[in-house]
Amino acid sequence: MRHSHPPTRILLAAISLVLPVFAFLLGLSPGHAAAMPAEEASWFIHMNRFQESAHATIPCEECHKDLTGREQTHPDPKAKTFLKAHATRNYDYSLCKSCHRSSYEKYRLGSHAKALKREQTSPTTEPGPQAPTCGDCHSGHYARSHLSRVETGIRMTAVCGACHRPQLITYLNNYHGKAAVNLKDPDAAYCTDCHGAHECVSLKDKEVALSACQRCHPDAGKSFAQFVIHPTTQDTGPGAPTEPDIQKKERVALIRVVTAVMGILVLFVVCFFYGHTFVWLLRELHEKLRKHGS
Amino acid sequence: MSANDTQDQVFIRFSVLQRFLHLVVMLGFTGLALTGFSLKFSAQWWAQAFAWLVGGADHLAYLHRLCAVITYGCVAIHILWLVYYKWVLKGSLTGPQSLFPKFKDVKDLFQHIRYFFARGPEPKFNRFTYWEKFDYLAIFLGMNTMGLTGLFLWFPEFFSTLLPGYFINLAQVLHLYEAILAVALKFVVHIISTHLRPGVFPLERSIFNGKVTQEKMLKEHPGEWEGLTEPK
Repeated sequence: MRHSHPPTRILLAAISLVLPVFAFLLGLSPGHAAAMPAEEASWFIHMNRFQESAHATIPCEECHKDLTGREQTHPDPKAKTFLKAHATRNYDYSLCKSCHRSSYEKYRLGSHAKALKREQTSPTTEPGPQAPTCGDCHSGHYARSHLSRVETGIRMTAVCGACHRPQLITYLNNYHGKAAVNLKDPDAAYCTDCHGAHECVSLKDKEVALSACQRCHPDAGKSFAQFVIHPTTQDTGPGAPTEPDIQKKERVALIRVVTAVMGILVLFVVCFFYGHTFVWLLRELHEKLRKHGS
Repeated sequence: MSANDTQDQVFIRFSVLQRFLHLVVMLGFTGLALTGFSLKFSAQWWAQAFAWLVGGADHLAYLHRLCAVITYGCVAIHILWLVYYKWVLKGSLTGPQSLFPKFKDVKDLFQHIRYFFARGPEPKFNRFTYWEKFDYLAIFLGMNTMGLTGLFLWFPEFFSTLLPGYFINLAQVLHLYEAILAVALKFVVHIISTHLRPGVFPLERSIFNGKVTQEKMLKEHPGEWEGLTEPK
């Protein structure tokens, strides 16, 4: 009598047992790239954490001058706007300039400040991320000083990534992000190493990008900057798509096609040989058991 | 000579050079897989543990390239040997007992699958079976393409002067997927089909000591035995 157990059933059982283990080891479970949320500014202050921050020795009135003004009146609690706007939308961050002059000047000339200006001149009612002020990236109450380059870098990845999510994911998928964030290599590049701290320049212009590359890759030539660091089509930026945007879209499409073709090829070959080996194993086991039985 | 003695006759299946290269490639390939995947999956605890063990991301990259040079060195030596074998020793690289793929391999594959389901006898394999040829050719071709894309990623400044910069992205994709393919096949299919299946369990020794008995040859590669005994 020939055995007619369908090997497919055993195969499926084996795959369903083994796959979760692989998925766990390779981190294919959801949320593996989850970064820390940026420290949010709030109307309420945790004094213990404030005491550990870089600003712990500065008295409140130094930054909140309106606390001591005699002519101040309490805002109307019944007004519709009362406590509706986020704290970072109301605070006058030009006060930061009195201590952090160069950072503030860089910010003022950078793309985040430009976006803020655009937002103020033509406000949109659309929900979504708003242009960042100082306080959206830096916590005035809790930011700590004397962090190492790696500590700063990892925090920065989370802060930038809170708004630039596709860029965060592609960065962590890239050698730079893997070495810098995952393996904590201080020689690898974090966000600001290419985009600049406070200026936050877009690197869509390949000439600008090349000069950023050359800070670490001094031998890089003109076409080196065509490397797509953030292979995503979800680029933030106002206005109609420009020449570099269209070019990037084509390149990302090419990369995705090659990835899909390779993925299908690998899947096909691996499935064929795994199935082949598995059925072969069963056959030889059967042969062994038959000899053993007789 | 009694009949028993002939049954115990020992042949050399793999030369000293072949055994040595297999051993070095085996170690080099394992090193490449470990260091490479520790980088690719660096968000995972085991990858971070391995990276810590070797001393960080830059050591990981250094070891990966060291293993690559050693492994590709074996491929280069092997190619030199093929040239010597063909042009000096006047050997055949495409004959029936060679590793060169033949139409017989396709027929053998289907025959073998029929055998799995007890629909026919085992095929009569020559010196190298179709899966042995696949194992060899996949590694041989794969090492060259992996070497090429790897060099591109090692020296992107130089190669981007020859090709557009976004070819670095393509090289990354090809390097990754070929690595997944190679590891998925070599660490599972190769190990099981040559070492762990009940017919050979626990270890196929001939790749390490080079020897194959007549009995084994008759069982596994009967076509080779016929090639040897046929009058030339």
